Amino acid sequence: MRVPDITLPPIIASIASKLPATPPTLALVTALNQLVKRGVLPAEMELLAGKRFEVDVLDAGIKLRFAADEARFSVDQSTQAPDLRFAANLADLARMMLREEDPDTLFFNRKLVIEGDTELGLIVKNLLDSVDWSDTPLARFMAV
Amino acid sequence: MPKLPELVCPAGSLPALKTAIDHGADAVYMGLKNETNARNFAGLNFDEKSATAGIRYAHDKGRKVLMAINTFAQGVDISRWQRAVDQAADLGVDAVILADLGLMDYASRRHPNLRLHMSVQSSATNYEAVNLARDLFGVQRAVLPRVLTLDQVGHVIRHTDVEIEVFGFGSLCVMVEGRCLLSSYATGESPNTHGVCSPAKFVRWEQNGNTTSARLNDILIDQYGQNEPAGYPTLCKGRFEVQGDTYYALEEPTSLNVLEMLPQIIDIGVSAIKVEGRQRSPAYVAQVAKTLREAIDTAGREMQRFSVKPAWQAALGKLAEGQQQTLGAYNRPWK
Amino acid sequence: MTALNLKLTLGPILFFWSRDEVFKFYEEAAGWPLDTIYLGEAVCSRRQQLRTSDWITLAHQLADAGKDVVLSCQALLESESDLKRLRKLVENGRVRLEVNDLGAAKLARESGIPFVAGTHMNVYNSSTLALMQRLGAYRWLPPVEMDRSTLAAILATQPELETEVFAWGRLPLAFSARCFTARHYNLKKDDCQFKCLDYPDGLQLATREGAGFLSINGIQTMSDGCHALLPHLAEMDAMGVTAVRVSPQSAHTAEVVAAFSAVIAGTQSANASMESLKGKHAGEAVDGYWCGTAGIINTGDTLHASA
Repeated sequence: MRVPDITLPPIIASIASKLPATPPTLALVTALNQLVKRGVLPAEMELLAGKRFEVDVLDAGIKLRFAADEARFSVDQSTQAPDLRFAANLADLARMMLREEDPDTLFFNRKLVIEGDTELGLIVKNLLDSVDWSDTPLARFMAV
Repeated sequence: MPKLPELVCPAGSLPALKTAIDHGADAVYMGLKNETNARNFAGLNFDEKSATAGIRYAHDKGRKVLMAINTFAQGVDISRWQRAVDQAADLGVDAVILADLGLMDYASRRHPNLRLHMSVQSSATNYEAVNLARDLFGVQRAVLPRVLTLDQVGHVIRHTDVEIEVFGFGSLCVMVEGRCLLSSYATGESPNTHGVCSPAKFVRWEQNGNTTSARLNDILIDQYGQNEPAGYPTLCKGRFEVQGDTYYALEEPTSLNVLEMLPQIIDIGVSAIKVEGRQRSPAYVAQVAKTLREAIDTAGREMQRFSVKPAWQAALGKLAEGQQQTLGAYNRPWK
Repeated sequence: MTALNLKLTLGPILFFWSRDEVFKFYEEAAGWPLDTIYLGEAVCSRRQQLRTSDWITLAHQLADAGKDVVLSCQALLESESDLKRLRKLVENGRVRLEVNDLGAAKLARESGIPFVAGTHMNVYNSSTLALMQRLGAYRWLPPVEMDRSTLAAILATQPELETEVFAWGRLPLAFSARCFTARHYNLKKDDCQFKCLDYPDGLQLATREGAGFLSINGIQTMSDGCHALLPHLAEMDAMGVTAVRVSPQSAHTAEVVAAFSAVIAGTQSANASMESLKGKHAGEAVDGYWCGTAGIINTGDTLHASA
């Protein structure tokens, strides 16, 4: 299964940006916490503690803002600037998550914007890379 | 058919290791989560548990695992590096890749049966250097820095019985490995001392209108327009001013790619082809391993008749830094 | 101010100077207060204003004049002709060698010639240092990026070799197969037209904001700043350093040597000596490496270290 090469039409972004971002963010942090708890996501939480993150899905007009403490992830309701921001179109984010595409490749091609604390960006990227999906039901979705 | 060089792929994580094996690597190289290896990046590399799992995975499929302990032990207390060698031996790796002569000395005495590879960071660019490491420590393979022409690589091979490994694909060091202090000049940390080059904690990206600026410890390395391909903010790949000209004064953001030279590489008797990129993702490892596996096998079969398939070139081109590729020093005109 | 027990050495010329300039330089240097003179082509095989035999003759002449002389070998040895020139140096029969490549160490060892393990030998720890000694090194230079606390720890184990510190000049930071000077002129390395002759102290590489950063010297990349450890000589002496090295520059080397000599003799303060050299070196004075930080930094420690 390959992610098709599409960009969402601008109308989606203009609608989505008016919707509250909390539900998708909540889903994301719940999933992350589950993965940490089950030991699938080998997060060294002390490296992430106290940091704010933003995933900006450009063509969907959705910004997912979350934070981490020593033990878990939570929805970030604050208005403070994130320590780390990833921004890309939905298809490219999906490719990255499903390991069809290397984040560095997307970055070289300027399809992925990484802003803020560069070292934190590297920690997160390496964290995603080190998840062994073969132990999870998600394995069948992964490209590699 | 001539003897094919081993395909040696990078593994920065357990998924990358499995991916490399699944896509045709004959061997993978990995490092521990500390400054004993030259890709000492936050969140990358192996601990005891993942290393054990990785080695088992590789050995079950008849492939090899090499452990890179390729920084230079610092000062008087070098026990961390020695422990890393002991740990590698205990884990049952197929070889350790060492840069520091003192550490090679330790490994050869303490673990006489542990196979030693001389890291590219040892800067062995001629057969006398390689043979010294063989005579002193019984080194069985040397990885050559990316500074020799293909003829010079052949010359080294003809004058030593040590196996020779060369780089085949990945981000290019334009400097002799092990002899580049640019990173520490700007940041205080270098590959030799800390296992890092242009470390992330010193990198700052600044967005100013449509221009992205990359700074390393405040030193401006490069600026990119909106759709200009970017590279790592590695010092040697920045744009600088020399006598009023602003250009890539040392090297473009580019990747080495030896596809078109594979028949010659096989012909001169190279023992292994190494892929750079332990810091890259499993997706990269998969695509490079698969492409090079196919290309090496095809080159071995076809030799003189070999031609590079456009699909391989496209697959690798996409992954290349700055989306540019070069034959590097192997091809004389590059110099 | 007290006199220091440090020897003073002159490193090999790292830049490409004309034959006449080289001879003139050593004619003068023969009269400077130096304990050891290193000479030879250490950087680029294409620099042949003096052939290997010329360097050997010059070295023997200086030795005849009572100088302690060491022939420095090329650091990056790639081709058979590089090795051929190296063998010639090894067979010079009289003068010791500074080696900057493992292959050179091998040949020196096999010929039983005591050698100096140069900064590019990557001796970062006491075990590797002990190994160098077993191979025949009688002196070593730490890598220029090694800080004072690491060096002090190594010296506290009282190695039997002499220790020399690169203490003045543009820092040799990197070697490449590519010639960056030729690249600047869009020339191939094999047809470089010897452009390096026009840049007797290197060619400045600045950031896009105009800040001096590096210096291009053919296949070598150097710092734009001048590594200036003159204010740190007292601590070197205290930790057991044997000798300090001044790296030649196209002008004012005599004054630099005189300033070091005065501080070592205890006749001038480090501050006054640094002051006397203002405007007489390339780039900014830097000492970050010695102080354990980025090499490009001038820590300011420079001003009170031995005041």
